Amino acid sequence: MDIQQFQEELLSKAQDAKFEEAEFYYEKSNSFQVKIFEGEIDSYETSEEAGVGFRGLYNGSMGYAYTEKIDEDSISFLIESAKANADVLDEDDGTDIFEGSEHYSEHSRYSEELAAVSIPDKIEFIKEVEKKTLAYDSRITSLNYCMIQDFTEERVLANNKGLSLQGKTNGLIIFVSAVAKDGEEMKTGAGVRLTRDFNSLNAEEIAKEAAEEALSKLGETSIPSRKYPVIMRHDASASLLAAFTPIFSAEEAQKEQSLLKDKVGEGIGAETFSIVDDPFHPEALLGKNFDGEGVATEKTMIISNGTLKTLLHNRKTAKKDGVSSTGHASKASYKSTLSVAPDNLYIAPGEESQEELIAAMEEGVLITELSGLHSGTSTISGDFSVAASGFYIKDGKISSPVKQMTIAGNFFDYMNGIESVGADLKFVPGGYGSPSVKVKALSVTVD
Amino acid sequence: MIKQSIIENVLEAALSTGGDFSEVFIEDKFVNSIELQSDKVEKSISGRDFGIGIRIFSGLQNVYTYTSDFTEEGLIEAAKRAALAISGGGNGIIHPLQKEIVQPIHTIAQLPQTVEHARKVAVMRKANEIAKSYDERIRQVGLRYVDEEQHVLIANSEGKFVEDQRVHSRLAIQSTAMDGGEMQSGFYGPGAHAGFEFIENLDLQHYAGEASRIAVTMLGADECPSGKFPVIIDNEFGGVIFHEACGHGLEATSVAKNNSVFANRIGEKVAPDIVTYIDDGTLPNEWGSLSIDDEGEKTRKNVLIENGILKGYMIDKFNARRMNTEATGSSRRQSYRFNPTSRMTNTYIAPGQSTPEEIISSTENGIYAKYMGGGQVNPATGDYNFAVAEAYLVKDGKIDRPLRGATLIGNGAKTLQMVDKVGNNLAHGAGMCGSVSGSLPVNVGQPMLRVSEITVGGTKGE
Repeated sequence: MDIQQFQEELLSKAQDAKFEEAEFYYEKSNSFQVKIFEGEIDSYETSEEAGVGFRGLYNGSMGYAYTEKIDEDSISFLIESAKANADVLDEDDGTDIFEGSEHYSEHSRYSEELAAVSIPDKIEFIKEVEKKTLAYDSRITSLNYCMIQDFTEERVLANNKGLSLQGKTNGLIIFVSAVAKDGEEMKTGAGVRLTRDFNSLNAEEIAKEAAEEALSKLGETSIPSRKYPVIMRHDASASLLAAFTPIFSAEEAQKEQSLLKDKVGEGIGAETFSIVDDPFHPEALLGKNFDGEGVATEKTMIISNGTLKTLLHNRKTAKKDGVSSTGHASKASYKSTLSVAPDNLYIAPGEESQEELIAAMEEGVLITELSGLHSGTSTISGDFSVAASGFYIKDGKISSPVKQMTIAGNFFDYMNGIESVGADLKFVPGGYGSPSVKVKALSVTVD
Repeated sequence: MIKQSIIENVLEAALSTGGDFSEVFIEDKFVNSIELQSDKVEKSISGRDFGIGIRIFSGLQNVYTYTSDFTEEGLIEAAKRAALAISGGGNGIIHPLQKEIVQPIHTIAQLPQTVEHARKVAVMRKANEIAKSYDERIRQVGLRYVDEEQHVLIANSEGKFVEDQRVHSRLAIQSTAMDGGEMQSGFYGPGAHAGFEFIENLDLQHYAGEASRIAVTMLGADECPSGKFPVIIDNEFGGVIFHEACGHGLEATSVAKNNSVFANRIGEKVAPDIVTYIDDGTLPNEWGSLSIDDEGEKTRKNVLIENGILKGYMIDKFNARRMNTEATGSSRRQSYRFNPTSRMTNTYIAPGQSTPEEIISSTENGIYAKYMGGGQVNPATGDYNFAVAEAYLVKDGKIDRPLRGATLIGNGAKTLQMVDKVGNNLAHGAGMCGSVSGSLPVNVGQPMLRVSEITVGGTKGE
């Protein structure tokens, strides 16, 4: 059965089943991914995925269910499951389904030109990247990862209050990881691109970036374990921000899982520090003009010159706090209940280049990569203790790569301790961005 | 799920451009997830995951596609779209499909789909009460219940035709303690390849109590010192260190491309004699267990390291070609959306001779990692890091004060060589492992053991 018919039948049967309000959410996406290994296609994946999320108000509670099988049986499954789920909920906050915003942005996140690029052209491009990376230096022995991926996503949100919204986005991701060996030493370096403009890509630039990063890590030395001033490079800084995103969620704050609860209007960071969420940022891949419950999205200033201006809200959290939704209702997919999440969250750039930040540092550490972020951070306390890669800086110059480090600190202290914000804003996969950031001090332990 | 004749047509269409192997993976999975927070059931969702993955090999070329369109036309089209990437010399022959009967080695007493939500919530409420009442400083308790029934059908051009049902049930408990401005949390997440009987019979007093005890203990704990120390790692989830530090490097996914520190070292001494490392997907009803893997191969006990000598790897069908060897029943994928590759199931260090008391009393100065958080490794280099959820200082052969903010960092191959005591109290802990073929349920296990030196990262300054 086709999706339009499924939608009509589902909303009709939901009404018959005594749902006071009902919502249909459909997502379809197509993607293509190729990994190259030694000039050959190592894996080639194409996909087409689609599913329906159903949400309905039943005896005052919002029940949820989803299906990926678009057939008659699944309509019954959705209705019976949503009822069963509504029955066990203790929600008492008057959640309802939205009738619609007055205005929706016209920003397009879909590129017809990207959609027209052929699969052979993409494969040829990524093979070229591999070839140039391996040829860059004899110490580059292999690529851990050499991937090109694109996606197209369509969304439909409809409900029995007359709302009917549609959206479409696409994008391209390149990820290359080079392995450098020198004797017993082995290091990796990455090159990443996120774009909707295939013609902006340069194979040589990506190859150089990955290879040079891997090579720059060879010849690692130790430095004493102590507190150092730190420059967090844009990508490391973006990944740290990503790990602490839950602190900006009003949902987490209302559950007492964020120390930013009751802090709106207060200074929580350095005056040089601002954080923005922009669903339409031209350099980011994510973002859409309506959120997961149909509220129109817009650019949101979260921290402005150190002052917390707002948390991220959906309609439920906004109602509880007596404010307006910021358009951050999130459905990670049709499988999800509503939550709160940013679109493209980033630290606002300043004016200095990364080179200028380094030149101004008498002694310190430049952190280029963080790992263990999913386990080494506590968004409740703000504590982090994560592995890091990077370089020792002396007299305003990069001195040497440092053996594997752990950096430890607290994210709230970190935000307060920011001394400079660079101009080199870049986004990482997942919708997070940052320029390079200079911080007063972090604990650095060296193996 | 889908008629055999349609499957045969799809396998044939997939080989239409000269591939030498094709496979169909059909999945129909029912899931339930319930979240209880601040004494209230805040979320409850059910779903049906459904789709078909189609895979084609041609020599060392690997092509994958998937779709939720289960019509014959849609499937043939998907198979042909994937086949476009192939130009091989295969003859397109499909061996007749031979239906295999899977002998269930994992007893399921109560299928989760047959259990009403109210009974699941009742267990959660009981656990919530235990965790909350543990100490007055417990300010928040969150629980998450998850169950899944996954029906799979796997067929390939070599004649394999097999169906299986996997059931997973898990209850995760997180307690948050607060004192003044300080917050700390503790976590425990038991899971099994089992039905609701597992949840109903959980020792809630132990699991919920421990989550709260960890949170309260870490409140007011001293900041962990930084430096190199002997580290005692407790059993059960302590196994995460070797899962991250060595296990990933023993998967063919990285070994086959020479991107592992363990590549080309079979027969070499890679660890002390006291270390034997095993991956066993057949352990009855364990969280990481499977009857057949996601290529339809029977799981088995794979000895990876025996008395310090590297014996084998975890190998999937595709990487077996590259390595000129046989698959080991270790191929896994999160769902039909992922191209399968070699992954861990229940991975553990075999028990040794020492008692926990002996290990502690023989450690003059060190760190005791009682509960580990999660961690991560770069499989190419073996560099790892992971968080310690509950740590203590060990002084004069005795456990001293609790420490917070501890991280263990180092290199897997080097750490393995520095294991100097292996305990006799093997236990397994449930976790989720993320890698190229998705997020999977795995067990990590070990007895208590000691590493003579690991770098410990902490927040305490010099």
